[in-house]
Amino acid sequence: MSTQSNMPNEVNSGSAPVYDSTSIKVLEGLEAVRLRPAMYIGSTGELGLHHLVYEVVDNSVDEALAGFATEVSVTIHDDNSVTVIDNGRGIPVDIHEEEGVSAAQVVMTKLHAGGKFDSRSYKVSGGLHGVGVSCVNALSERLELEIWRDGFTWQQEYACGQPKAPLVKAGRVKAGKTGTRVTFKPDVSIMETTVFNYDTLATRLRQLAFLNKGLKITLTDERVDPIKNTEFLYSGGIAEFIRHLNRGKQVLHEKPIYFEAERELPNGGALGMEVALQYNDAYSENILSFANNINTVDGGTHLKGFYSALTRTINTFGQQQGLFKEQENLTGDDVREGLTAVISVKVPQPQFEGQTKGKLNSDIAGPVTQFVNEKLGEYFDKNATVGRKIVGKAIEAARAREAARKARDLTRRKGALESGGMPHKLADCQERDPERCELFLVEGESAGGTAKQGRDRRFQAILPLKGKILNVEKARYDKMLGHEEIRYMITALGTGIGKDDFDVTKLRYGKIIIMTDADVDGAHIRTLLLTFFFRHMHELILRERVFIAQPPLYRIKKGKSEKYIKDEKEFTKEIMRRATESLRLEIQGDSVNGSGPKPALEGTELRAFLLNLDEYEQMFHKVERRLRDARVVEVLANVDLRLDHKFEFQEEANLKPVFEALTQLGLKPEMRRDEEHSSYAVVFHDQTNAERSIGLALAAQPEYRRFRSLSRIVARFNHPPFVVVKADRRESQPDWSALLEHVKNEGKKDATVQRYKGLGEMNAEQLAETTMNPEKRTLLQVRLEDAVESEEIFSTLMGEDVESRRKFIEENALDVKNLDV
Amino acid sequence: MKCPICKKEVALGDPDFPFCSERCRLIDLGNWASGKYVIPGATQPPPDPDEEP
Repeated sequence: MSTQSNMPNEVNSGSAPVYDSTSIKVLEGLEAVRLRPAMYIGSTGELGLHHLVYEVVDNSVDEALAGFATEVSVTIHDDNSVTVIDNGRGIPVDIHEEEGVSAAQVVMTKLHAGGKFDSRSYKVSGGLHGVGVSCVNALSERLELEIWRDGFTWQQEYACGQPKAPLVKAGRVKAGKTGTRVTFKPDVSIMETTVFNYDTLATRLRQLAFLNKGLKITLTDERVDPIKNTEFLYSGGIAEFIRHLNRGKQVLHEKPIYFEAERELPNGGALGMEVALQYNDAYSENILSFANNINTVDGGTHLKGFYSALTRTINTFGQQQGLFKEQENLTGDDVREGLTAVISVKVPQPQFEGQTKGKLNSDIAGPVTQFVNEKLGEYFDKNATVGRKIVGKAIEAARAREAARKARDLTRRKGALESGGMPHKLADCQERDPERCELFLVEGESAGGTAKQGRDRRFQAILPLKGKILNVEKARYDKMLGHEEIRYMITALGTGIGKDDFDVTKLRYGKIIIMTDADVDGAHIRTLLLTFFFRHMHELILRERVFIAQPPLYRIKKGKSEKYIKDEKEFTKEIMRRATESLRLEIQGDSVNGSGPKPALEGTELRAFLLNLDEYEQMFHKVERRLRDARVVEVLANVDLRLDHKFEFQEEANLKPVFEALTQLGLKPEMRRDEEHSSYAVVFHDQTNAERSIGLALAAQPEYRRFRSLSRIVARFNHPPFVVVKADRRESQPDWSALLEHVKNEGKKDATVQRYKGLGEMNAEQLAETTMNPEKRTLLQVRLEDAVESEEIFSTLMGEDVESRRKFIEENALDVKNLDV
Repeated sequence: MKCPICKKEVALGDPDFPFCSERCRLIDLGNWASGKYVIPGATQPPPDPDEEP
């Protein structure tokens, strides 16, 4: 063959035990292989085909393991025949006593024949998992064997496992050259596929090179032009293997942790152990175990030993370092999350379990545990930072596992309810066609009771949900949805939950309507529910199944007519509308010239002025909340001031009038230069002696800007005292605030105004009339963007920064608008 | 937007949206199940007729 190379044998030493025909023991004949190939190589398909190469290569790697070979080359030829060459000792060529033919021929023709059954020749051997190269021979239409040994070249050819002639001496080789070449062509009459896959072979050969550090393995593919060639040689061994497995991943520590040792076994022989590991930020584990280069896919004693030592050492280290806050105990699963590890042992006379030899049975768990405990413990002592990172990751995994367990409980217990039906709190409807059914999720038991009375039981179902109240001792009104509440809801909806279980087609209602009080707490419960739907029942929102009920905030009754009003803004509008039906406002001041009857505001114009004034009042109070002094806010209402925009605070002169006004009020203000922003601020002390500032920070507030612009709008008619004319009666109001109050009272005159603090204050008829009856109610449909907004609010509310969360809630407490969807 | 649990970026249409992964989804569900999500109220509780003794 043209691919023969001249590999010098560097490792062979004269002291090795004799490896000749006496070493070869015959265990069984070769008969049945061609008859039942799958029994010997697993299959006659792709897997079995590649297995043939591994059998031959394993023999060469065994020579390397024994310290006699340093190079193995594998070549795929144009006709899909394969050549494997090593620079080992060469298969023995002398005549085998029992068989009367060359030892090489015994190896090639007898099943379970070979040097690895004799522990004098190979301390450890990997090729044992197959049945020897004889199988490859049996399944090849042609096989050529060439051996370089004792200064000579020996050759023999086979066809379908039968030798064409005895082994012959074919020539001399130069001194020192030893090795074996096997070229075989799989039998097309037996193998279903005969085309080798380069990548499949490369993967296994790379693995072998990692496992046998320093061994050079080359793979050549002559079927392509140009010829493809890859060399695998890793001086880093399995530590490099780890880097290869973790490539492209975010690792927790830069260098893989690696250690190796050799221990004498009680029943003789030495156990070689190598472990390499590295954590990445993923959640899965990737742990490969090998015994004598065989990938033990089902693990075994070596893996068991490694697992127990890993769990123990990490727990011990975590305790030593005081890293466990709660009563934590990390389980094996916790410490293996994100772990990439390779455990490789070399055992003399290994015992495997199962047909595929996927599990190691040799009694070595003890020594492996001891070895890993000791070495990993030492490593953590020297690299505490890495150790702490690993423990931290495992703690996180433990917490995740605990949360996942609770999540499973939530859904698993559903099974018990499924047969018996629905939660007892659910008042279901009669209709069975989901499209026509509605489910009201109602805040509070009492409102739930009212809703049950007020519903149309034919198609409306009610599920009362209670926001749990926590921290009662701190007098805080914390809201959460309890485990039970969530479970009831999931059961009532019928969809199930979770990636595999959620099924939107099982939804029992066409509309899911969230009905909460029109206050901040109601908004919070709504946010909770929407966030839950958004996160775990996404599909409901995408299919526009979720709605918000709009219960009224006010009821105005006058005579026989009554009107329900859903929010403050609309209420003010309504009151103003009623008041201005019969009122006029006389205009004073410079803006009006001449004598005669005084011009007056009335109708739409008056209403517009009053509504602006009402908003002005709201903004006035918001600014007052910041400055804590109404007199100061009055000063800032002056339309002549040039303090509307941030840049105007750069001019000291613009702030001068404020400074002077505050001085007159006896506030002893200070004009302060803000170097950082090249601007000025007037600073004073409020009644609690806290410092308040009129500067850039105030100018940035939306309520301040709105306050300033409303000041200008209302200025036109804001000339107290105000004279209000109703029929023949004239009444004077000293300022805008009194005017507003007067007008509002006028608007409410002769009417009964009821403000609902909660759903529970309405009787069943009222609730049905205003909020539930499809003929009369308005519903808000929740769209994806609403839910996203809810999610954002929720995230802020759930944020880790307690202070900013508290601030957010305080600032929004009076501004339900921000929580509205 | 960001995964509610690990804060990794997720895009609409990702298989586990609004989470980055099945694991984060499970953790979140576990948080709901164990009552970890609490919205702190700022106000004194009004007398609550629903409250059981």
